[in-house]
Amino acid sequence: MKAEHLEFLGELRAYLDALDPDLVAATRAEHIADAMQPRANGRRFLARLGADGWLGVSWPAEYGGQGRGPVEQWLFAEELCDRRLPNGLLTLNAIGPTLMAVGTDEQKAEFLPRIIAGELEFAIGYSEPDAGSDLAALRTRARPDGDAYVIDGQKIWTTGATVATHLWLAARTGEQADRHRGISMFILPMDAPGIEITPILTQGGEQTNTVFLDNVRVPAGARIGAENEGWRVLTTALNYERMFYHNEPRWELRQLRDWAASAGLLDDPVVAETMGELAVDVEICRLFAQRGAQMLADGQVPYAEASANKVWWSELRQRICDTGLDLIGEAGTVAGPTGPAHGHLEHGLRSSPVWRFGGGTNEIQLDIIAQRGLGMPR
Amino acid sequence: MTADALLAQAVRGWLADFVDNTYLNAQEASADGYESTRWDQLRDLGWHAVTIPDHLGGGDATLTEACVVAREIGRAAYASPLLATMRATVVASGGAGYFDALVARIAAGAPATLVCPPDRTVTATPVAGGFRLAGEPVVVEWAEVATEVVLLVPAGGDWVVGVLGRDALDGRVSAVPSVDNERIARVALDGVVVREAVTVPAGAARLALAGANLLRASLMVGGCADVLERTARYATERVQFGRPIGGFQAVRHHLARMVIATDAARLMVDDALERLAEPAVAEVALFTAARSYVELVLTSAQVHGAVGTTTEHVLHHHFRRAKAMRSRTGTRALRLRELHDALVVHGEASQW
Repeated sequence: MKAEHLEFLGELRAYLDALDPDLVAATRAEHIADAMQPRANGRRFLARLGADGWLGVSWPAEYGGQGRGPVEQWLFAEELCDRRLPNGLLTLNAIGPTLMAVGTDEQKAEFLPRIIAGELEFAIGYSEPDAGSDLAALRTRARPDGDAYVIDGQKIWTTGATVATHLWLAARTGEQADRHRGISMFILPMDAPGIEITPILTQGGEQTNTVFLDNVRVPAGARIGAENEGWRVLTTALNYERMFYHNEPRWELRQLRDWAASAGLLDDPVVAETMGELAVDVEICRLFAQRGAQMLADGQVPYAEASANKVWWSELRQRICDTGLDLIGEAGTVAGPTGPAHGHLEHGLRSSPVWRFGGGTNEIQLDIIAQRGLGMPR
Repeated sequence: MTADALLAQAVRGWLADFVDNTYLNAQEASADGYESTRWDQLRDLGWHAVTIPDHLGGGDATLTEACVVAREIGRAAYASPLLATMRATVVASGGAGYFDALVARIAAGAPATLVCPPDRTVTATPVAGGFRLAGEPVVVEWAEVATEVVLLVPAGGDWVVGVLGRDALDGRVSAVPSVDNERIARVALDGVVVREAVTVPAGAARLALAGANLLRASLMVGGCADVLERTARYATERVQFGRPIGGFQAVRHHLARMVIATDAARLMVDDALERLAEPAVAEVALFTAARSYVELVLTSAQVHGAVGTTTEHVLHHHFRRAKAMRSRTGTRALRLRELHDALVVHGEASQW
């Protein structure tokens, strides 16, 4: 790591160390319970960071950012991840940069200052009951009506919808047969009349939602990018999303280490051999993320590289929880904070399926690696 | 183009002039296992002595450049005393000038090897005039050919770096067949007294070994890269059911896994070369490169099918070299326990 990056990390750590410990503890507890949707404390935490100028590390100064590079941005997310604190997730890391790239001046002025202040939270409206990996099959329709659009349809797996201020929505403005060429992107205020949210509780305790859109009227200015050219906007945002797989596995390995230490098994050969290999894989995970950041810093865009990062990260996290529970044995059946490893491994295992299929299934990622990276035929 | 890229290109070009599967097969079947005339060329090019200082007759470059050479050697699956010589050089150079005469002989072209049993099965005890070795016979790369034999073994809390004269080894070296195309011998060291030796602290020994092991790791990264390239090419050329097999998702996913494993090894070795003061990173790199290389050859064999198993295909060299090189890093379980101790218990590398 370069000296300037170490210096940045030192500054960041000093700042985080000095934050109100009660706020940090409450935010951490909330984040551990459900990392995908900052709630009351997470919002307060992000607003604190925003007010202190610590959100938007790599955002340009003209949008209120620190104007640093992607490597610093990676270190920022890595450090918060390591402390099990929210880092602004998709709103700051994917929606913001996408708006900078394709938004109008009015849209940038409306959203960017509030995003970097930590005031806004976007939920992502891509998936539908019949459009998952095959996203271009989506059916939610946006009909032009004067200088507005009227939107009807249904989204599902819209995580964070109940706490979000806005919905980042992909809807069909062209023909169904046009597939990805007939899609436009919109930003809707979550409290727009006609939006109804039904919660879905997952086995990991995280909440996701179905979002019904019934005659939701938005001004034409809510459209991001040109009509029927939303696919490009969407893939831009998705690419930013895939760059943010960090070192949660390291945190999970640390929980396993705490268990091994408290059980007096840190020197047990089987425990050591299992954890030794997991620790190797955690080191590699970090380098995959660092490579993505470095490529961005060098003016390149990671595609296959981001996919490799995502596959490695998701499988490793799941493996740490799974093999960790195997080491723990029968005591691993005790759920919750009184269980071994404070319950984090059994909770992690319950949460783990979404890591492998969310943000684009690992099977799709492997195809990206083989096709974009190696030139394999379709 | 960077200096490292130019060096890689030069080494690759030199190897491409004469190394192919037929050549590798012929050398493996030959009496010596390599051509001494090619060794002389290597010496004249200076690629055996990259890290040796200028005043001792070497290339005065860093371990990174030496690893570039090792990577290209590994890519070509080329067997020679080069890796053993470079490893011995790195360890002898850690002796604070004590072994300068030996290092200068290596620079002048003497093939060397390193005795450092990965599972610490040989130990040294101080005796009058040197150190007495104890332990079961060990397998040493190119021990018959090497005229300079460098030793790195534990001695109580410290380690001993020493030089074994050929006379001390007289009657103790017996060639044994190797799994791969490199040459190995079983060397009986029990009772040998090493006269030319210095003790170094355990930390210094660990650093020296980390450097030597990065050379092996780089060689394996080169092997991964070649296996991946060949397999990807084959998947676009081999047609079944009317289409290249790379068009089948099951095959694509095999290839994607190979990319991930190759990237993991390369990124880890590159990171270790930037963090030479942290031996734990090099230890992770060695483990990763070995694991990846074996994974690569197993998957590559599956994608190639029967054609990859013939001795007419260079894959058979990579296949055997991968497992042999992994085995030369010692017992997997012991390496993992050490990694656990360094990374998990002591928080080395990047687990902070």
